Amino acid sequence: MIKTMFGLDALGSGQAFLLAFLIGCGFGFALERAGFGSSRRLAGIFYFRDMAVLKVMFSAMIVAMIGMCCFLSMGWVAADQIYMMPTIYGAQIAGGLLFGIGFVMSAWCPGTAAVGLASGKLDALIFLAGAGLGAIIFNAVYPVVKGLETLGDAGIRVAWQDLGMSQGSFAFLFTCIAVACFWGAELIERKVARTGAYLGTPFLRAFSLALLVLAGGLWLLPSPSISAPGAAAPFEQALLGDVAAGEDHVEPEELADAIMQGGRGLVVVDIRTPGEFAAFHIRGAMNADITELPAVLAPYAGADRIVLYSNGMTHPAQARDSLARMGYRNVYFLTDGLQGFFERCLKPASLRGEPLGPAEVERINAWRAFFAAPGTPVPPPPATSPAAALPPAPSAPRTEAMLLETSRLAGDLARGAVKIIDTRPQPEYNTAHIPGSVCLSPESVRGVVAGVSSMLMPVDVLARRAGLMGIRPEDIVAIVPGERMHDATLIGIALDRLGHARWGILEGGIEKWAAENRPLTAALPVLPETRYPADGTADTFTVDYRRVLEIVNAKSALILDVRPREYWSGEKSDEARAGHIPGAVNRPIDEDIAVAGETPRFKPVEELAKAYAWIIPSKDAPVVVHCRTGHQASQTVFVLRRLLGYTNVRWYDGGWSEWSARPELPVEKGT
Amino acid sequence: MNPYLAGTLLGLVLLVSFLVLGAGLGASGGIARAGAYLQCCLLPGATSASEYFGSWGDQPLRHYLVFMFAGVFTGGLFSAVLANRVAFKLERGAKAPWKLRALLALGGGVIVGFASRLAAGCTSGQALTGGALLLSGSLVFMLCIFAGGYGMAWFVRRQWHD
Repeated sequence: MIKTMFGLDALGSGQAFLLAFLIGCGFGFALERAGFGSSRRLAGIFYFRDMAVLKVMFSAMIVAMIGMCCFLSMGWVAADQIYMMPTIYGAQIAGGLLFGIGFVMSAWCPGTAAVGLASGKLDALIFLAGAGLGAIIFNAVYPVVKGLETLGDAGIRVAWQDLGMSQGSFAFLFTCIAVACFWGAELIERKVARTGAYLGTPFLRAFSLALLVLAGGLWLLPSPSISAPGAAAPFEQALLGDVAAGEDHVEPEELADAIMQGGRGLVVVDIRTPGEFAAFHIRGAMNADITELPAVLAPYAGADRIVLYSNGMTHPAQARDSLARMGYRNVYFLTDGLQGFFERCLKPASLRGEPLGPAEVERINAWRAFFAAPGTPVPPPPATSPAAALPPAPSAPRTEAMLLETSRLAGDLARGAVKIIDTRPQPEYNTAHIPGSVCLSPESVRGVVAGVSSMLMPVDVLARRAGLMGIRPEDIVAIVPGERMHDATLIGIALDRLGHARWGILEGGIEKWAAENRPLTAALPVLPETRYPADGTADTFTVDYRRVLEIVNAKSALILDVRPREYWSGEKSDEARAGHIPGAVNRPIDEDIAVAGETPRFKPVEELAKAYAWIIPSKDAPVVVHCRTGHQASQTVFVLRRLLGYTNVRWYDGGWSEWSARPELPVEKGT
Repeated sequence: MNPYLAGTLLGLVLLVSFLVLGAGLGASGGIARAGAYLQCCLLPGATSASEYFGSWGDQPLRHYLVFMFAGVFTGGLFSAVLANRVAFKLERGAKAPWKLRALLALGGGVIVGFASRLAAGCTSGQALTGGALLLSGSLVFMLCIFAGGYGMAWFVRRQWHD
């Protein structure tokens, strides 16, 4: 596999500069050989006198296209090793029309003008001065034209995908067009200028034939995967390989056992209608419309397995393939759909035709006890009777889906599909960080609000900060934890306030990343500013002291105080008053962390789930989490909401600092 | 040289660029960065504060496309000297006034410099490179270049009158 300078993030290195210079030399040599050191010759194409531009450009394009198609299809170089310009229709149409006008006026383009200058052409020098000035003007008016620069941004798109063709057939078609243009150009030259020296010559016949044969050979090769922003496709052949090997589906028995064993790392998605879902669904499944899958599944990209099911298999299989093209390697569909699940797991042993051993009967009974209420008949397939209602199942535990695996991030990164926030101290960031990441102190999302210090900033401030970091609402944000996990979770809660749900914490942090020899750099990232919308309605989880007081008085929620135990008990205090909110239960944040190496990690999810099951009565029980200033509490909020799937968690940002400093609020001491 | 063979050579250079640099050829980026450098020298504060050039940092010339542009000049010079084609002149039609040709070269240059920033590339970086990768936008860009060029050609034909 070829690793390119771009793929190694080394385009800014001295080595790359030298290589670019040498390649430039070849480029200049070829242009000059083609006769493009002459503006008169270049302009010829627009007056049908000399069609050299067309001949040279198409020859070069077809030769390079055949080579690249071949290298990509054979897997000798991966698409993520090649810088592909995004398709931005507005900018490219407007830019192309303008460029054409400028091209015919000056009869130069940037590359040929460099060659023209080398050939002593004064008009090339004038053109280059003009082009530099044009860039300066563009910079000056950039605030006005930047809307056009991104107008119609469609991401990385290749024509053959857009036209629904295979790479081979499009490449062949394109080559046919080029060859037709060659002959047409010679014919035009013969008519207009009485030249057309190559028309009908053995050379042009042989050259045309060679290109067509080579391009035709591309038909034998599979189409490669071309990444699109936000998600990248695996190789189409790998996809077909999965299908052939049956590695794209899960048997009902296997799924049932996996769910009953706790469903760790497993996400089950029901893609039927909400009505059907409400009537019956596999215990632990979530419901999503097929069109929403990319958005719904984004947080679960790191899950071991995502299983899609519907009544039958067609839609889940198609969705699975589509998701696989978007880069999901962990999506499966349920064999025979829900009907198969009924038939093979839930059908009572007594109703089955085939003879069963005692172990099999016991297994069926266990499934029935878990997935259908004991003693009830198996609900008929919901397509025929949507009214067969069972009590709604609890939602699946979300396991480690919100912790991003380093391998996943590396993949996203290579495709530019992710924004990375590094929460380590600036000196550590400056020394070495993940390419493209920004350094953000958790303190920069906090400040004084209404006289209370260290409050999370309001949504408009956070939106501005997100925009300055180049974050767009559709981006996945990966947060790199430093020595304190709660620095990362505070940034996360700031994103939650923005309504930006697509974020996760890089598991193992820089330490694991570096240990796996993944790329690190000291270079500054290039992050064009964005305008992040400030949506004030997303934050439904923050509560203020008045609300907490109501809760305390009504005893309507569990108050979880995550400060160190001696501060909770009141033995130690560096605040206005010592003690805790009346009724508050203590669970210090350190108890959720298993320290290994420099970067903290969460304890295994099962262990956390067990510990919190002792403290909080149910997954939907109301809980208010607080600490001293809201910072540490963000970590517990992350554990409860994101890792364990608690659905009714509130965050009291003001925390003990504010509570103790308001003398009218009640305080309790001791254990 | 036979244009088809020159094109083949150019295509092979482009292929090498893809496989070594991981990026295709480009020329307008080098010119724009030279423009940014010039502005940096004259108005350092305003340049680093500006939104577009500012994102290129304090040393806009530290970029592979600048070195590639220098290479294009060098390779072109080598070939031109080899073929004895170096001649100091302002290329124009015999009956065309030199002022007209100079003015059109300058005006066209300004438009090309602007347009290639807007489209993030020129005939090399966008049309040729992106075309070889079969990128939708690059192919559309290429068609638009020809549409714009043929649409304007009649109006500027006098510069080539003999």
